Amino acid sequence: MDADGFIQIEGLTKVYSSGPVEVVALRDATISIGRGRFVGVTGTSGSGKSTLMNLLGGLDTPSAGRIRVDDRWISDLSKTDLALFRRYTIGMIFQSFNLIPSYSAVENVAFPLLFADVARKERIRRATELLAAVGLEARGHHLPSELSGGEQQRVAVARALVNRPAILLADEPTGNLDSRTSRQIVRMLFDLKTERGLTIVMISHEEALLREFADELIRLQDGAVLSHETLRDRP
Amino acid sequence: MRASDYVGHAWANLWKKKLRTVLTTGGVVIGVGSLICMFAFGQGIQRNIKDRFNELELFNYINVTPRSGGGPRSARLRRHARPQPAGDPNESVAVLDDDLLEELTQIEGVEAAYPEMRFPAQIRLGSREQFTLVQVVTSKACGSALVQLRAGRAYASDDANEVMVSDSLLRRLNVTQPEDAVGREIEIRTVVLDFSLQSLARMAFGRGDQRLPVSNRVYSFTIAGVLERMGFGGPLPIRSDAFVPPGAAAGMRKLVLTGVSDLFQLPEETAGYSAVTVKVASTRQVMSVKASLEERGLRTFALMDQLEEMQKGFIIMDMFLLAIGMIGIAVASLGIVNTMVMSILERYREIGVMKAVGATDGDVQRIFLFESGMIGLLGGVFGLALAWAVSFVINQVVNGFAAREGVPFIQYFSFPWWLCLSGIGFSILVSLLAGIYPTRRAARVDPVVALRHD
Repeated sequence: MDADGFIQIEGLTKVYSSGPVEVVALRDATISIGRGRFVGVTGTSGSGKSTLMNLLGGLDTPSAGRIRVDDRWISDLSKTDLALFRRYTIGMIFQSFNLIPSYSAVENVAFPLLFADVARKERIRRATELLAAVGLEARGHHLPSELSGGEQQRVAVARALVNRPAILLADEPTGNLDSRTSRQIVRMLFDLKTERGLTIVMISHEEALLREFADELIRLQDGAVLSHETLRDRP
Repeated sequence: MRASDYVGHAWANLWKKKLRTVLTTGGVVIGVGSLICMFAFGQGIQRNIKDRFNELELFNYINVTPRSGGGPRSARLRRHARPQPAGDPNESVAVLDDDLLEELTQIEGVEAAYPEMRFPAQIRLGSREQFTLVQVVTSKACGSALVQLRAGRAYASDDANEVMVSDSLLRRLNVTQPEDAVGREIEIRTVVLDFSLQSLARMAFGRGDQRLPVSNRVYSFTIAGVLERMGFGGPLPIRSDAFVPPGAAAGMRKLVLTGVSDLFQLPEETAGYSAVTVKVASTRQVMSVKASLEERGLRTFALMDQLEEMQKGFIIMDMFLLAIGMIGIAVASLGIVNTMVMSILERYREIGVMKAVGATDGDVQRIFLFESGMIGLLGGVFGLALAWAVSFVINQVVNGFAAREGVPFIQYFSFPWWLCLSGIGFSILVSLLAGIYPTRRAARVDPVVALRHD
C-alpha cells in the first residue's frame, strides 16, 4: 500500500438500480496505488472487480466516493474530460480482446491515435513499432480472425499502449487463453511495466499468476476490499 | 480527429458493407435523381419559354390601343395626339393612324411600329386552298430584321400588290421548296359582312351557311417572299401566315378581327387601326418607350409587365415539382435511417472500443454522421448522373417523335450548374438530417454495456 498513491481511491461505492431493486457492486472501497506498481485484483465473480476497473478507467461514474489519478480527481471530470483522460492517461485491455474484426493488426493498434489527431503516417509508424515490441512485427497486416488468442491479446496490449498511457488496466486479460499463453501475456505486461514505468492494475481469477508477477494483490469480496497485500517492495 | 480521417473511416466502413451501401445509396440516387430531373424539366421549360420569348423578341413588343373608345370609328372622328385627362367622358383620344405610326417610330428606342390588323381569308395557290389569318404589315417592318426570309424579298412598298407567306403555309399548300413559290400568283378570298338586299333575301330563303350575312371578295397578289417562320408575334402570339402591305390592304374588303368592335364596323370604315404594335430595339428601353406612349394618351400592354407574374408562376411550378420529388427523398431518408441504425447495432461493441480508447461522444457522432453524409454525397453524384441519363433518353425519344412532325429539336431539360451543386448539396443535407437520430443514439452508447455486448 502506498499512503501517497499515484492512484488514490476513497470510499468508492457503486450502486446499480434496476427499478426498485438496488445492487451494490462496490462498497466503500479505499485503495492507494503507487506509481509504477503492478497491482493484481482478484476475487470471486460478482465481487466488484470489473466495476472497480470501469470506475478507474473513467468508463463509469461512482455513486459515492472519489478517485484521484496523479493530481486530478477523475470522479469530478465532465464526460468529455473523461474521454480525454481515457485517451491520454489510460490504456485498457479486456478478456475478449475487443479488436475491430475488419481492421488489420496495425490498424487496430493505430485506432486510438485517430482520436488524438495523429497523422496517418505517424499512426502507422507507432503501431508498427509497438507490434514489434509485443513480438508481432510479421503479423501486422493480418485480421484478428487470422491470429491466435494470444496474438490477439498482444495486439490489444499494443493498442492499449499506443497513446503512451501512464496506467494500464487489464480486465481478465488471460480469461480466454490457455495457461501457457496466459503466462506469456502476464510476463509481457510485467516486462512492459519494467521498461516503460507503467502502473498496471490487472484483474484475474488466477491468483498464482498474480502472485508470481504482481507487486501488490487486492482481494475483493461482495464489493468490499477484503485485503490489500504487498508482495514485493519497490526495487 | 481530422476531416480526412473521418472521410477515410466512413468510406472504409461503407465499403465493408458493399451490398447494403449500394442498396441504401440506390434509394438516395433514385430520390435525388427524380428530384433533380423534375427541377431540370422545370428549368428546361422556363429556359425554353424565355429563350423563345427572347428569340421572338416578345419582351420587346408593346401593344398599343387608344385609352378609351378605340376602333376605326372613334379614330376617324376624333384626332388628337396629346395627353388628355383620364376619365373624362368627352375625352379625346390619340388616333392610331399612319401619321401616328410615323410619330411613334420617332420615339427613342422604337425600332418599328405597325398596325395590328388581321383578317381571315382563304388562300389559293394553284389548285390547293388553305384557310388562314392575313396580317397587314408595313413594308418597312417587313424589310427589317423582324422578318426572317427563306426565299425572295420583302414587298417593294406599302402599295405593292405583293404578299409574303410563311413556309408552313406553303407546306400546307403542297409547296415544299420556298423558292418555287416566289413570283407565283396567289389568290386571297376575304370574308365581308354583307347586309345588301340580295344578302338579306338569301338569309331569309337560303340554307345552311347561305343564311349568314357574308360574302367573299377575291384578290390576286404576287408572292414576293417566303418567311422562315412567323416573325410577327407581337405581345399576343397570334399566328399569321400571310402578310399584305397596308396600301394594298386598304383597297380590300375584309372582316378585320383585331377586336370585337371590328365585327360591327361598316365596310367604308376601314381606315385607321384599332391597335398598333410597337417594337422596341432593346428590352431595357421597353419601360421608357411605354411611358412615352402613355404620355401620348395611349393604352399599352407589354409582356415585360407580365414577367414578374410569369416568374411567380415558374416558382409555383418549381414548388409543385419539388413536392413530387420530395416523396422519393422522404423514402430514401427512411432507408438511410434504417441503414444507420443497423450499422450502429452491428458496431455496438466497436463504439464501446472507441469510447474506451478515448473517443468523445462528439467523435462518435461525427464518425457516423460522415458515413451518413457520404451516402448522401454518393447518392447526389450518382443521382445527378441518373437524372442526366433519364433526361437524355426522354429528350431523344420525344424529339424522335417530334422530328417526324417537322418540329425542331428541343432540349426539354436544363441542368444549370447551381442545380447540379444544389442537388448534391441537398442530398448530403437530407442524409445528414436522416443520420441525426441514429448518430445521437450511437453517441449515447454506454461503453460499459457496449464492451460486454455480443
